[in-house]
Amino acid sequence: MKKKLVALLMATTMVAGLAGCGSSDGGSTASDTSSNSTQTTDSGSSDASASADASAIDTSEHVVITYMTTGETPTGTKEKYDEMMTELNKILTEKVNAELQIYFISWTDYLSNYNLTLAQMDGTVDLVGTASDWLDAWPNAKNGAFLELSEDMLKTYAPKTWESVPAEDWEMCKYNGEIYLMPEDNYAQWTNHGFIYRLDWAKEAGLTDGVKSWEDMTTYFKYVKEAYPDIIPWDSNGDSYVQLSSGWIASHSDFVPVDGINAGGMWGGTREDLYTLYSPFVTDTDSLVEFAKMMKEWDEIGVWQTDVLNNKASTNRDDYRVGTVAAEQHHTQTWTDLVSHTAANKIYDDDPDAESGFFYFGEETGNVTALSITHGAMAVSAGSKNPERALMVYDLLRNDPECYKLLCYGIEGVSYEITEDGLRDTPDGYNNDTDNINGTTNFWWGRNDDLEIRAADRDWDKIDALYDEYDSIKIEYPYGQFVAEVDNIKSQISNINEIHTNYMKQIAYGKYQGTAEEIVAEYQEALKAAGIDEVTAELQRQFDELYK
Amino acid sequence: MGKAKAKEIKVKSNLTFFQKVKRHKTLLLMCTPAVLFFLAFSYAPMPGIWVAFVKYNYRDGIFGSKFIGLDNFKFLVTSGKLFDLTRNTILYNLAFILLGNFLAVFVAILLNEMRCRWFKKVSQTIIFLPYFISQVLVGILVFNLLNYDTGFVNGILTSLGFERWQPYASASAWPVLMVVIYLWQQTGYNSVVYFAAIMGIDSETIEAAKVDGANGFQKIRYIILPSLKPTIVILLLFALGGIVKGNFGLFYNIVGTNPMLYSTTDIIETYVYRATMTDFNFSTASAVGLYQSVIGFVIVMTVNWVVKKIEPDYSLF
Repeated sequence: MKKKLVALLMATTMVAGLAGCGSSDGGSTASDTSSNSTQTTDSGSSDASASADASAIDTSEHVVITYMTTGETPTGTKEKYDEMMTELNKILTEKVNAELQIYFISWTDYLSNYNLTLAQMDGTVDLVGTASDWLDAWPNAKNGAFLELSEDMLKTYAPKTWESVPAEDWEMCKYNGEIYLMPEDNYAQWTNHGFIYRLDWAKEAGLTDGVKSWEDMTTYFKYVKEAYPDIIPWDSNGDSYVQLSSGWIASHSDFVPVDGINAGGMWGGTREDLYTLYSPFVTDTDSLVEFAKMMKEWDEIGVWQTDVLNNKASTNRDDYRVGTVAAEQHHTQTWTDLVSHTAANKIYDDDPDAESGFFYFGEETGNVTALSITHGAMAVSAGSKNPERALMVYDLLRNDPECYKLLCYGIEGVSYEITEDGLRDTPDGYNNDTDNINGTTNFWWGRNDDLEIRAADRDWDKIDALYDEYDSIKIEYPYGQFVAEVDNIKSQISNINEIHTNYMKQIAYGKYQGTAEEIVAEYQEALKAAGIDEVTAELQRQFDELYK
Repeated sequence: MGKAKAKEIKVKSNLTFFQKVKRHKTLLLMCTPAVLFFLAFSYAPMPGIWVAFVKYNYRDGIFGSKFIGLDNFKFLVTSGKLFDLTRNTILYNLAFILLGNFLAVFVAILLNEMRCRWFKKVSQTIIFLPYFISQVLVGILVFNLLNYDTGFVNGILTSLGFERWQPYASASAWPVLMVVIYLWQQTGYNSVVYFAAIMGIDSETIEAAKVDGANGFQKIRYIILPSLKPTIVILLLFALGGIVKGNFGLFYNIVGTNPMLYSTTDIIETYVYRATMTDFNFSTASAVGLYQSVIGFVIVMTVNWVVKKIEPDYSLF
């Protein structure tokens, strides 16, 4: 009897629980019929509604389109943000009878929260800012989080975007022949990593042209440590091991890594032979030993704190702005900020001689690869209830000057104004803590150089000079179309990641026991034991299928 | 009289289900919140274990995704670390459970023996307080105590003319440090249960012992400790069920991602966290959870069986 009672209770709650899940599913499928009808057009037959002329699109129902981005919800600037959104939504309502909401994924554990939100699939978000190299775009496409965007859909609902993106760029956005992403392919930016350092101090150290190699960097750090004993040359938090090790490889070979296989970028080809895969972490033993030795030297100089691997409280970039550290390891975009005489960069006010240089990894060998066009891209959630309208909204945000400026810069005269030279400056009485919109809405998934207005406070002479230098040596990212199928080699890659992280942290911060030769040998043996050769062979097989 | 009783028993067993429910409605009502809680949070999600055996994708859901057998467990085994991780996890938990309970009983008895009321309250509060400190703060506290360049301990060592100590580079220091930190944080809380059990001991027994001339130690040895035995055994049994579940908060916040210390501080949770944070995978994470639950289940069943053999009254079921 007791058992029966328990069984009955269990049954009821189970049913109730399942019903709970079921009903929400039912709800989304019921209202999802619209997207289903467009999806069926993928199969080839041209559905009347999808191939219909844009003017015939039914927008009678007012809908809210939610766009998900990484970043913090505006707090200090909330008032101006709300005003901007009201203005923007007026335009969007008038043009496509929709309004925009921004769903912010806060930077704390952003990747988990981002993926969890996508996994809900309940229509919480419609447009999804994504990236193939830092936001799991392809794993999510494979997991079914993104809607396939048929050519008909794009032509009908996002015609301007469709026209502006060239056919070869659309190819880069395909997985299994279906388009999943709309790339940010008309925006010049460089996110190749390197060291930002004090050029004025480098000159004092005798490096008249600035730091041009890793050896120069050693000279620079040594000098800073002696001449400015109060300064921690680089107060790292122990997380730069990936950039340091791959940066060293870039500077000492012509290796071109493939994005998106693992964080370490451990596989790739060479500039001469792009499609023969290898891993320099297995083959370039001598180079790695040199690396381990130099990092041990840096550790002994005292470039970072002794317990750098447990140093969670580092605020190195902000420290750089006020001059209490001598270097920051990050990418070119960050340098464009730090090199400029902005209000936040106090070093330039405090010390008129202060200058910031950039030593980019690969500078010695001229080994620089341009950014993949899917470093920023927009996708439509497969759970979206209004995918068509989402596309229409995106088309406006990306291509309509009025919408674009509102979303990216805010209201003219309040958050920005345009100078006589056509640059973007801050208006009189502007307060960055309450009025700033640029850099808070994080529209990194559809920026458009045709509509961008350059910021007046950036040091464009220096920036353009470096960009020109890059343009003269760069190659385009060659592997845009390659989406690795890792299901069969997943456990090996997980283990390789773990080994790479554990050993590289010790090697890249000079924290290993024994000699450099020993630790590198141990690392490479562990990689072999974890099956790195199998992974290379499997990836090569997939490469050959695609490129031969 | 006897006949009537027999009749009553007979009537009882003839009661229908609903009559029984009606008769015990108060008791049932009192149980309901607990029953509902376990149904909702322990039983209802159980079918979700299935996710550990499929190649999960969002669109097809847990039960629609492709079945792939034990593939999700592969990465745990192929890493070659499963044994080390399980060993670390179990040894730390054993130390925590055994030393923790021993110290908790000890503290509870000490508190009980204190005669000065305000001193008793003050010391209880002080022992209890660390329990409320978040693990994140504990991590920061420990770092500020022990770090090489500016740590408090190293400050004292150097001012006394000793060499600096670098615990964040020596794995061998951590088993002891971890246990000490754990005990510092948890003892106050654990001792409350024992303290309450001591309070519940029949005071007549203790008074009788006093009259018979038992001294303080004899009182503890022959009355208090034997009376605590069931509580100790039950708490041990409960704790053993979770022996494969590591204390993620403690280890992650104190050791962080410093690979120099992994050989002695890496537990299943921290390893899995690192391995699955890079590729967001519900299935592998669930596979690990299932592995831990199965081992925990086996351990509880075995220990309970052993306890039942020795002292049937003390077993859980």
